[in-house]
Formats: sequence, C-alpha cells, structure tokens
Amino acid sequence: MTIKSINGCIGCEECVKSCPCDVIRMEGGRAVITYPADCQICHLCRMYCPVDAIEMSPEKSIPVVVPWG
Amino acid sequence: MKLSAQTTTIVAALAVFVGLPILFYGLGDAPRRTLLKEVISVATLLAFAAMLGQFFMARSNTLLLSVFKPPQIQKVHKYIAYTAVGVILLHPVLIVLPRALEGGVRPWDAFVTMITTFDSLGVVLGLVAWVLLLVLSVTAFFRKPIIKRLSTHYRGWRYVHGGLAVSFTVLALWHSIALGRHTDAPMAALFLALALIGFGMLVKLYMPARPKQPVPAQTQAGAAS
Repeated sequence: MTIKSINGCIGCEECVKSCPCDVIRMEGGRAVITYPADCQICHLCRMYCPVDAIEMSPEKSIPVVVPWG
Repeated sequence: MKLSAQTTTIVAALAVFVGLPILFYGLGDAPRRTLLKEVISVATLLAFAAMLGQFFMARSNTLLLSVFKPPQIQKVHKYIAYTAVGVILLHPVLIVLPRALEGGVRPWDAFVTMITTFDSLGVVLGLVAWVLLLVLSVTAFFRKPIIKRLSTHYRGWRYVHGGLAVSFTVLALWHSIALGRHTDAPMAALFLALALIGFGMLVKLYMPARPKQPVPAQTQAGAAS
C-alpha cells in the first residue's frame, strides 16, 4: 500500500481531481482510498490537499521535488 | 519541602492545561510530519487548552479566588487571552503556511479552497467559531465603552462575554473533534471534560438558586397561634 491514510478530510475533492489513477473516491462527502493498489506514489494528492490530510507510507515514499532542487 | 497553596495550584493548572494535552499528543497515533507542522499543531492544541482554561481563570472559580487575589487572576486571564486567542485566530493561516516551503498547492490557493468548502460541517463550524472568537476578543478589548452603553453595566457585559465564550467553545470543540488531526478519543475527552466543568462553573455563578417566596403574613400569624 502506498497512500496510507486520509485524516481530517474537509471534502474539497482536490485529491480526487489530482489523482491520475483514480485511487481516491468521494464517499459521504469525504475522500476515501478506494483502489490503493493502483497508487503510483506520485504524491499529487498529498501535494494538492489544502489541509495536508493525506499520509503516504514512508517506506514507499519518494523525495518530494521542490523548486530549488 | 512544603509547597504553598499558590504553587500547588499553579503546578496543578500546568499539569492539566499543558501537561495532559502534550501527553495525549505524544501518545496519539497521528502521523508525524515536519518539525514546523508539529510545532504548529502543538501550539494550536496548547492555545485551545488555554482557551478552555479561561473558564477556570474567572470569578466563577471560587477555589482559585481563595488562593489568588482577583486582580492576579484577571491579569493571567488577560495574558492568556492575548496569546492563545492570537494563535487560534491565526489557526487557518498556520494550517496552510508550511505549504510555502513545499511543492504543490500554494498557501493562498490552499487557504481559499479550505475556507470555501462549505460542504464540510467541520469547516463551517470552524468558520463560525472563528468569527465568534473575533467578536469575543474585540468586545473584550473594547469592554470599557461597551460597558458604558449597556444598561446593565458590568454585569451585562459579563453575560455577553460568557455567552460568547460558551458559544465559541461548543463550536470550536465540535470542529476539533470533527476535523482535528490530534483530537483522538483521549484528547477529545480531556477537552470535553474541561469545557463541561467550565460551563458548569459559569452556570453555577450566573444561575443561583431561586430565592424562596416570602411567606404571607397571615399564614405566619396563623402558624404562631
């Protein structure tokens, strides 16, 4: 499993829109990890969550690319 | 070593309003993030605990009044208000601020998305609580001209201040339980217990036992004969 948990979701759907592999779906107004096996560890959901609610498994994480290299 | 009543009270207050939130934060299973984010989380938790502590730093706390003088309590109440209210009012900004140091969504975009997501009850509760806290702090800051205008003077202002404080606390507590990263069961139980005790003390102060009806003079005379 790559995307680990969503804690404190406000239901803005930014993660659903940003995920290229349709891993996250909205259920009852909250984002839910529906297809974890499809996660490509791109970190887009985590990077675009406005409240930093998404956690990735540390053992599978890759360094986040920042503008200063 | 024999501790004075004042020292014991201060240590007990620090243990409950600083020690316990930090303990529950440390024991919680929320995922750890960068140092900056964790410092912001702890500061917010302590600020909210201090806000709950304001119910105990008031004239409703008769135990505290027996240990400290009212001006001393007022001074601490005021200092906590200036610091804790500042942190809580900045809470929406502090959530998105670390985004300036990361790739991905920009802080301003994250802020706008966050405060315009009205589908989430937790966000709406947080927004209303924030507005209530702003009103609470502004009315407290300008209490002297407000007290002059109120027909009931200082007592009337105390009712307004207490009412706003209770309203803010209920909404903020609900918001923190709904969305809080670190508000797990023990932390929620602590905040809830502190809030309920604080509300109880306010109710006890403002709703004293109804005075007994005066006994009619004829009944008294009949009973005497």
